[in-house]
Amino acid sequence: MTGAVLTVTELTKLIKQNLEENFSSVSLIGEISNFKAHTSGHWYFTLKDSGAQISCTMWRGMNDYVFFSPQDGMKVRIGGKLTVYPPRGSYQVEVRSMQPAGIGELQLAFEKLKEKLFREGLFDSENKKSLPEMPMKIGIATASGGAALKDMISVAQRRFPLVEICVAPCSVQGAGAAETIVKALQNLNERNDIEVIILARGGGSLEDLWAFNEEEVAYAIFRSEIPIVTGIGHEVDFTIADFVADYRAATPTAAMEILTLDKEDIIYSITELDTRVTEGLNESLNEKRDRILSILNSYAFRSSSDVVKLFSQRVDGVVYRIQNGMHNLLEERKNKIALHMTRLLANDVQKTLRKGFVLVKQEDKFVTRAKKFQMNKNHQLIFYDNQIDVHSGHEEKK
Amino acid sequence: MKKKNNESTFKSDLNRLEQIADQLDTSDLDLEEAITLYEEGITLSKKCLQALEKAELKVTELKSNLELVNQKK
Repeated sequence: MTGAVLTVTELTKLIKQNLEENFSSVSLIGEISNFKAHTSGHWYFTLKDSGAQISCTMWRGMNDYVFFSPQDGMKVRIGGKLTVYPPRGSYQVEVRSMQPAGIGELQLAFEKLKEKLFREGLFDSENKKSLPEMPMKIGIATASGGAALKDMISVAQRRFPLVEICVAPCSVQGAGAAETIVKALQNLNERNDIEVIILARGGGSLEDLWAFNEEEVAYAIFRSEIPIVTGIGHEVDFTIADFVADYRAATPTAAMEILTLDKEDIIYSITELDTRVTEGLNESLNEKRDRILSILNSYAFRSSSDVVKLFSQRVDGVVYRIQNGMHNLLEERKNKIALHMTRLLANDVQKTLRKGFVLVKQEDKFVTRAKKFQMNKNHQLIFYDNQIDVHSGHEEKK
Repeated sequence: MKKKNNESTFKSDLNRLEQIADQLDTSDLDLEEAITLYEEGITLSKKCLQALEKAELKVTELKSNLELVNQKK
């Protein structure tokens, strides 16, 4: 080849052929730097280690399969092929797959994001919204048809069936999940009737739950005007979403339990209120009765009862007098009758006198036998029409 | 929080019931007032209990265009 003069294009073409043939499938490990997610959906970044660096691209469509958002400093293992770009005389790895170099990388990414968001104040307790006491309408952002949703619905049904549930479906795993979660939260916020949102997902590995560790999800939770309760994975799983949320429940069902009062408890407290109302009325009635009794026992009322006593004495007196009067009246009648009786009797005597008989009276007594007549004393002769006093020795007309 | 446009009657009934219980507990009421409150309270508690007994969970799904779709449980 010595001596032969090539054009730049010719040489580049040879290099391109050579490199692309020999490195059609490479697998390499390195640390991401200058990561850029272009609006077109393509990713551009540099992979480096202590001795070298290489440019990388990952086209839209390919990066859909990456479940996490790459960050600078993250150690990843990528698969792809080497390509040469003649206009720039550059070579790069066209990345087809990307994985964290180890589980530790995700941990690290998690810690870094956590640290960053913490500094930005996304976890501050003063930014936490308080949860409604008895929400009647709960929004749920989770996978439609997932076990988590089913569990939450059955909890609501059992505990507080008066609640209304509005599900905003989203992917909860894999590439693009974060985006759908953000959208679901936005959609729920656009409605004006949702009182609280549950962001939930059943249990899974760190990779499975990774969408909830994404920055955009964290910001969407932070921006939500409606309070958000997270119920992600199992009790031991903590995600970034949990830190930003207004309340973190250990599981999806726990989240629903927190937001729904137990029917039995409500029934109990209604019964309690019922009792309080009844007792309240009874107390009120008792109080009134006591007051009436105390008024009756007060001096004013007692003294007036003395008045009553006096009055009744007067009444008694009147009654006595009436009874007496009656007695007197009877006596009077009795006397009158006796009088009439004597008159009747007298009448009898008059009849006899009219026939010409004469009665003899001496010293106010009738002389009914001759031997009782005293010759030396005056006497009266009682005729029918008159009476004649007869003095002893001489006669005198009256 | 956003304003709810259909405040549940259950919740307001329950709140009113609590209010009535408090009033009957503490305040010095006329007999007439007390009886009126008592009657209202008893009616409300009955109503709330009935609502709870009859309640059936309502689940809807939000589509991307914000339209609501009824879901069976």
